Amino acid sequence: MSQVPSSGLLEIFDPKAPPKAIGIDLGTTNSLVAYVKNERPTTVKDCDQAALLPSVVHYGDAGEVVVGRNAQLRAAEHPRETIVSVKRFMGRGGDDPETRRLGPYAFVAPEAGTANVVRFAVGRKVVTPVEVSAEILRSLRRLAEDELRSVGGAVITVPAYFDDAQRQATKDAGRLAGLEVLRLLNEPTAAALAYGLEKKQNGKFAVYDLGGGTFDITILVLDDGVFQVRSTGGDSALGGDDMDRALAEEIFRLTGRDAGGATPGEVRVVLDLARRIKHGLTDAMVVDFESPFGAGGSRGADGGASLSITRARFDELVEPLLARTGAACRRALKDAGMKADELDGVILVGGSTRVPAVRSWVAKTFGNEPLGDIDPEEVVALGAAIQANLLAGEGTADDVLLLDVIPLSLGIEVGGGIVDRILPRNTTTPAAARAAYTTQEDKQTGFEIHVVQGERELAADCRSLARFTLKGIPPMAAGMARLEVTFRVDADGLLSVHAREERTGVEQTVSVKPSYGLDDDTVEQMLLDAIDHGEEDLAARKLAEVRVEASRVAASTKKSLAADPDLLEPGEASRIEAAIADLEKAIGGADARRIELKIEDLDAATKTFAGRRMNRAIAQAIEGQALDTVERSVEHAKGIEAAHAESGPLPPAPPSG
Amino acid sequence: MDPFATLGAPRRFDLDLSALEKTHRELSRALHPDKFAQAGASERRAALEKAANVNEAWRALRDPIRRAEALFQAEGLAVGETHEPKASPAFLMAVMEEREALSEARAARDLAKVKTLGAGIASRAKTAESRLTAGFAGGSPSKDELATLLPLLGELRFYRRFLDEVEAIEEEAEEAALARANEVSS
Repeated sequence: MSQVPSSGLLEIFDPKAPPKAIGIDLGTTNSLVAYVKNERPTTVKDCDQAALLPSVVHYGDAGEVVVGRNAQLRAAEHPRETIVSVKRFMGRGGDDPETRRLGPYAFVAPEAGTANVVRFAVGRKVVTPVEVSAEILRSLRRLAEDELRSVGGAVITVPAYFDDAQRQATKDAGRLAGLEVLRLLNEPTAAALAYGLEKKQNGKFAVYDLGGGTFDITILVLDDGVFQVRSTGGDSALGGDDMDRALAEEIFRLTGRDAGGATPGEVRVVLDLARRIKHGLTDAMVVDFESPFGAGGSRGADGGASLSITRARFDELVEPLLARTGAACRRALKDAGMKADELDGVILVGGSTRVPAVRSWVAKTFGNEPLGDIDPEEVVALGAAIQANLLAGEGTADDVLLLDVIPLSLGIEVGGGIVDRILPRNTTTPAAARAAYTTQEDKQTGFEIHVVQGERELAADCRSLARFTLKGIPPMAAGMARLEVTFRVDADGLLSVHAREERTGVEQTVSVKPSYGLDDDTVEQMLLDAIDHGEEDLAARKLAEVRVEASRVAASTKKSLAADPDLLEPGEASRIEAAIADLEKAIGGADARRIELKIEDLDAATKTFAGRRMNRAIAQAIEGQALDTVERSVEHAKGIEAAHAESGPLPPAPPSG
Repeated sequence: MDPFATLGAPRRFDLDLSALEKTHRELSRALHPDKFAQAGASERRAALEKAANVNEAWRALRDPIRRAEALFQAEGLAVGETHEPKASPAFLMAVMEEREALSEARAARDLAKVKTLGAGIASRAKTAESRLTAGFAGGSPSKDELATLLPLLGELRFYRRFLDEVEAIEEEAEEAALARANEVSS
């Protein structure tokens, strides 16, 4: 496999060869990376021609970190130092009792004053799920670099049902792995993208995604290149792992062993066996196996330990898990305002949908033979690659657009511990909404704001995302102050909250991270630590990144100037051009900070021009529509521009992370 | 923010929602942040903000209650339960009776009765909506007209809560029936 064509060599040394954007499916059980090659998405294979990288990370005695199949091989012997299914721990609280159920690990309680995240003791080290995930992402990045030489930005997929903390943790892991995260993309939407583009199907679809550890159901409408998600639902702790666990319990029963008394190593061995039996039962009606505990535990034919599990028995074991997915499916259909028989197709995603019981259950429930002709384990990464390519400006299908939604309602706690919903679930992103509140007590000088996510009425039953206090309000009588809270959710599904007291103008903006996440300083420190281990040269990387960003901004600004010269005010063009020239000069130098400053200057110089361009885009979009509606007159289109121009006393967005 | 102006829709209650959905889609195509991934920060920020406004406007207009609220707000009236006049005693009385009937039907597991009560309220909600349609059909209503229309908002909110409850009862019954069917089959 050493034939390197000469053009390949040229590519390596071609300084102008653009970095390639990649799509990553960071899965519970397996992860993979893909990119668009000759207009077709393809997965990157390792030296053994395998696309799937087991999402397993082993921390060795000598400080070495092993990822993938080699880590998997060490899991039985080192159950505590080998983290599997780390995705289940992402964004969870260190004190969350649910996390203890999820593996044989040595958990470390968070110290007072540190972030409330899960911590694993692995040998002499303590690592967080974000760091473990970053190891997986780093492996994938290297794999892609071997093939592409230079990797640009990355789209990383997340279950649609991931809450804010889980999304933020995923983005942090990407940063920690040295990736520029272009976008977090919902897995079902990615899958639909892979199907929709290749088959050119319009219609109503459900995406049934049963992965290793998560279940998602998404209802979406494909129409002329727009993928509009109507509703999404699921369970972020339900998947193939649960099938393995149900099978493992059956194995313990068959061998007469007590699962409770098993050592972590034994549990791991039985779980691995369970997974192999599950795979075997995809094609076979019965799988025979030897007892993992040797002859002692059972009554096999020749005094040995031959046991077997039939597919019928496995179907029985799986049935309760499928019933759990059913409730989520019915709710998603209801939220979308659709009946199962209106659907044009059901797309299967995730390795667990290979299980025959799952396929027949889906066919029965939706009355529709499911679509599975794209490998259900690759389809998400392929879709992510398409989206990465589009975001990098290289896609040919310019009119493709993904309109995703917020999976769980967002709100704040008000009097009596009740949740006031500000953005309900299934609101299309990006989203922004405001709510106004007042003080309940005289002379109250601070507002405590508790941000929660979930569908329950009481804040205590929802996921707590952040608490902060707006301080410095002068004492007033109860009911006099007017607090305006703005929620914004970006296209990644990440929330930021802004609070402002109207009378005094006191205001505060937070990116919602603190409750279960790592703050920016911690992530930055982790990055530095990784560098200390002799991995990469942070300064050089930073300079390279900021140069790419600067060139991109300069090029795009020139394009905007050329596209709408009539929107420029006198003198504005020369001011912007001067800022571009300054920026280009800075790119020639080696001072990253200086380049950043010049980007900011150019940003300031183009602010109002950008607003005018956006208003023109709006007017054009509406006029285009008005042509086919008689009632809609040109007057309306004109009115729009004014409405949008004055609509925006939305507070400034927080600095993007 | 006036959602009618944001989406270029006429200020009336009976909107052509499928045409408006198309407008929303075209605006999203023009403004979605993904379309500006390669742009400078100022354009990305502007696009994000406008796209969020457009989404919020569409969310408001496709919901009859929020659409009605926006119509009153556009006429300079404050809406929300604390700002609107109190409901008439006659309405409150009628409402209380319906509620009681619903809880009795729920307790008696009388699903047919629950459905009948729901259908009755749904038709009253329709009547209220058609009064709003008529009221806002010919441009700005007069002050007096607005005053007679405003209580319809409170009524619509009540009807919605009632219908939500009907739906919850029906769902509960369906889930229970499914659970029983599963027990039998396994």
